[in-house]
Amino acid sequence: MTAPLITADRLTRHYVVGGELVRALDGVSFDVREGEWVAIVGQSGSGKSTLMNLLGCLDTPTAGRYVLAGTDVGTLADDALADLRNREIGFVFQTFQLLARATALANVELPLVYRGLPRRERRERAEAALRSVGLANRMHHRPNELSGGQRQRVAIARALVGEPSILLADEPTGNLDSQTGEEIVRLFADLHARGHTLILVTHEPRLAARCPRAIRLMDGRVLGDGPGGELASAGGGRVPA
Amino acid sequence: MTGFLDTLAMALDTLRANPLRSLLTLLGIVIGSATVVATMALTEGLRIKVTSDMALLGNAAFVVQKWPAPGFGDQDWARFAQRRPLTREQGEALRALPHVAHVSIEDNLDRPEVIATRERATRPVVTVVGAVTDYEEANAITIGEGRFLSEVDVALGRRVAVIGADVADALFPGGRPLGREIRIRGVPFEVIGVAARMGSILGLESKDAFAVLPWTAYELALGRPRDHYLGVVATSPADVPRAIDEVVATLRRLRGLAPFAENDFDYFTNDSVNQTFEGLARLVGAATLGVCALALLVGGIGIMNIMLVSVTERTGEIGVRMALGARRSRILAQFVVEAVTLSLLGGVVGVLLGAGGALLAHALVGVPASVPAWAVVLSLASASGAGLLFGIYPAARASRLDPVEAMRAE
Ligand SMILES: Nc1ncnc2c1ncn2[C@@H]1O[C@H](COP(=O)(O)OP(=O)(O)O)[C@@H](O)[C@H]1O
Ligand SMILES: [Mg+2]
Repeated sequence: MTAPLITADRLTRHYVVGGELVRALDGVSFDVREGEWVAIVGQSGSGKSTLMNLLGCLDTPTAGRYVLAGTDVGTLADDALADLRNREIGFVFQTFQLLARATALANVELPLVYRGLPRRERRERAEAALRSVGLANRMHHRPNELSGGQRQRVAIARALVGEPSILLADEPTGNLDSQTGEEIVRLFADLHARGHTLILVTHEPRLAARCPRAIRLMDGRVLGDGPGGELASAGGGRVPA
Repeated sequence: MTGFLDTLAMALDTLRANPLRSLLTLLGIVIGSATVVATMALTEGLRIKVTSDMALLGNAAFVVQKWPAPGFGDQDWARFAQRRPLTREQGEALRALPHVAHVSIEDNLDRPEVIATRERATRPVVTVVGAVTDYEEANAITIGEGRFLSEVDVALGRRVAVIGADVADALFPGGRPLGREIRIRGVPFEVIGVAARMGSILGLESKDAFAVLPWTAYELALGRPRDHYLGVVATSPADVPRAIDEVVATLRRLRGLAPFAENDFDYFTNDSVNQTFEGLARLVGAATLGVCALALLVGGIGIMNIMLVSVTERTGEIGVRMALGARRSRILAQFVVEAVTLSLLGGVVGVLLGAGGALLAHALVGVPASVPAWAVVLSLASASGAGLLFGIYPAARASRLDPVEAMRAE
């Protein structure tokens, strides 16, 4: 078998709040292979977002090792981290995080701007990405002229446009009604079918149940790692040694 | 280059998002640049005007007088008042000098007079000079109507007068002044000539409010001055230095000055008046630069303030940009470019206002104005310099944000 795309080895992230130690992540280990679709589940405060920020190279671990596509992220300086985010990571956030003043197209172009691509290529690729999420006729709308579901599609297009090796989504349906959420989930399923590697955080059992694999966190530790159907309800799955 | 254009596009975008606030922020910069340009435009206009207006004298002419050359500084008038007068005889003696073509010996009591006809009187008072015929060359008089004084007028002490255009306008609004009678201190004179209009000094003091009489008639009507002004015309413009040497040597001899004694008279050319003005212009320039530095400082602090507010407001955006792969240096550049663009914009508005104001003043009041290119460049450069200087700190703050923390901020 080929080397895993992601290796998390005893990832630990501690915060000190008011003199007290908060173990947001406390030694989390797992591998993700190319083409996998993994759900991260767990109660609020269990460390899901903290883990995603580490996986997305937005944050660095207090201890432990994180290897992404053969690069040991812990050794990288700020600029290298920024470049890694730009090339390898596509991030989708619960609150969309679109630039309010920019059109859908401009938002999607942004990662390519930071990659230094020429204007024309940026535009073509951004248009293609928006078409692939079904927004061909909304390219010049600003976020406040779009529905929640459409905004999240723009965010997904923006995450996809740079052809990252991994797509990370932190509660992508958390701010959407259930029907729109379902559309977004179908979009993810479609991306998975097309070969993308996806890691998405959710606390919706229905969504987790659709994922081939789910990792359940509790108090910053892995409580279970197995097929999504088994882990959708609390307590399921095998507990790693 | 794409990077810079993108950064610039982003900067313009944020400025457009908040036009009113951007404008208010820019007020300091606007005022600074407007002041630079307006002051420089007025000074430059003055400079150009001075060069032509101060040409009170003919091309090859210089003036010798007991008083120091007209200047802008403080003068110790009491000291000069004690100097002995320049006499008519001394003036006459200069005629024989090899490089002297004309000597205009002028009686002037330095006392403005009212000139009247039966119907009218000049309201602003008029300079009345008792002259010889050389006055015409020494003072670059061009006759508009009639003629200038002749040797015979002077020799006979005829009661005739050549008047300036202002005097003609005031006394003879219907025209046809030639042959008419005017009265100076009740003494009647016949107008034989009107000088062509010469304009005013810097739009302020008219050069056309004068009357020239034969000195012989002048002394009868107005009294006999002890002192005289001597307008000397050299044989050619190139001969002026030689003529000055000859005149100075002759006057020193006639006035019995010991070899190392200071001259007890002064002389000046058009050039020396211009030099005095240059000194003044430099002084004004320095004062303006001080004011502008202050305005730019205030403007720069305004820029810094607005950029800090902007960084706070856009913390979330900064986080997103970082998450999408913007390096810290890129964020820094974005905010610096924004600050510089903002202040450059202020500079442009200021330059337009300043230049517009100066040119408007020129159009309305006739104040001379001319906008020099270097003043425009200077204001724009210093405006963007202020933006750069004061934009760096907020930009550095933006670039040091933590992406996760920043995105959490709403
Ligand atoms: N920046 C932070 N400073 C201090 N504590 C934090 C910070 N971020 C997260 N935490 C704490 O870490 C724990 C995990 O948080 P998080 O990863 O956001 O959980 P989840 O996304 O699963 O709801 C929580 O107890 C939270 O309060
Ligand atoms: Mg969370």
